[in-house]
Amino acid sequence: MTLELHATPEEVMRAVEALQEFGHERQIPDKALFGLALALEECASNIVNHALRRDARQTFRVTLQHIGSVMVIELRDRGPEFDPTQAPVPEKEADSDDRPPGGWGIQLVRRYTDEMSHTREGEENILRLTKRLASGDQMNLQ
Amino acid sequence: MPLEILILKTVGDKTPGAVTVKLTGSLDTATAPELERQLAPVLAGQIKHLVFDLAQLKFISSAGLRVFSMARKQLKERGGQASFVNMQPQIQEVFEIMKALPGVAIFKDMAELDHYLAVRQRAHDENQ
Repeated sequence: MTLELHATPEEVMRAVEALQEFGHERQIPDKALFGLALALEECASNIVNHALRRDARQTFRVTLQHIGSVMVIELRDRGPEFDPTQAPVPEKEADSDDRPPGGWGIQLVRRYTDEMSHTREGEENILRLTKRLASGDQMNLQ
Repeated sequence: MPLEILILKTVGDKTPGAVTVKLTGSLDTATAPELERQLAPVLAGQIKHLVFDLAQLKFISSAGLRVFSMARKQLKERGGQASFVNMQPQIQEVFEIMKALPGVAIFKDMAELDHYLAVRQRAHDENQ
C-alpha cells in the first residue's frame, strides 16, 4: 500500500491511521502495531518539520508492506539529503530556554523497530523501517 | 484520532492550586499544539500541581512528550509538580523508554513520585 502525503501534521496522522487499518486487516497484534504507528509518526513528522519545512505543497511517500512475518515501512521524500539514523544522541538535556532536542523521536523509532536504514537515490531520501513480528502472533495463514 | 482535553480545577481546600488535565485520544504531532495552547493560560496562573489523567490516552509521540516536559519544567521551576496518572500500558512503556535515555532527567524522578501520586489520586477522587 502506497500513500502520497502532503507535508502537514494532519497528513502524518492520516498515514498513521492508514497503517493502523492496514495492521488490523492483517491481524498484526496491537502491541506491535502501536510501536509501528509511533515509529511512522516520528519519521513522517521529521520529514514534514525538517526536510519539507511544513510546505503543504510538497509531498512525501509512505509505503506499507507486510511480507511473511515482517512489516516494512518505507518513507521517501525529496528534501535535502538527511540521514536521521546518523543524528547524534543528545548528550545532556537542553537548557531550560531551549526546547528539548529532537533526538527523542529517533530513539523511540529505534526502540520499536528492528532495523532503520537510510539511502539516498538521486534527489530522494529513502528511509526504511523493518519490524519482525513474532511468528506466534501470525493468525493469517495465507 | 483526535485529542479531547478536559481541564478541571479541583474545588475545596484539600488540594489547593491543583489542576487535572484529562486527555482522551491521541497526543501526536497534529494534536500536541492544541494541548500546548490550552495549557498556556493554566501554566501562567499560580498553580503548583498539575495532574495529567491519561486513562483515555491511547497514543503518544515525542511531540506530546515535549509538551509534558515543558509543563513539568515550568512547574518544577516554581517548586511545583506535574504528575501523570492512569497510563495505559503502551503509554507507560513510552515513558519508561524516555526515562532510560541518557540526559533526559525531566522524566527520571517519576519513580520517586509513585507514592505521592497514589496519595494525590485518592485526594483527587475524594474531591470528585
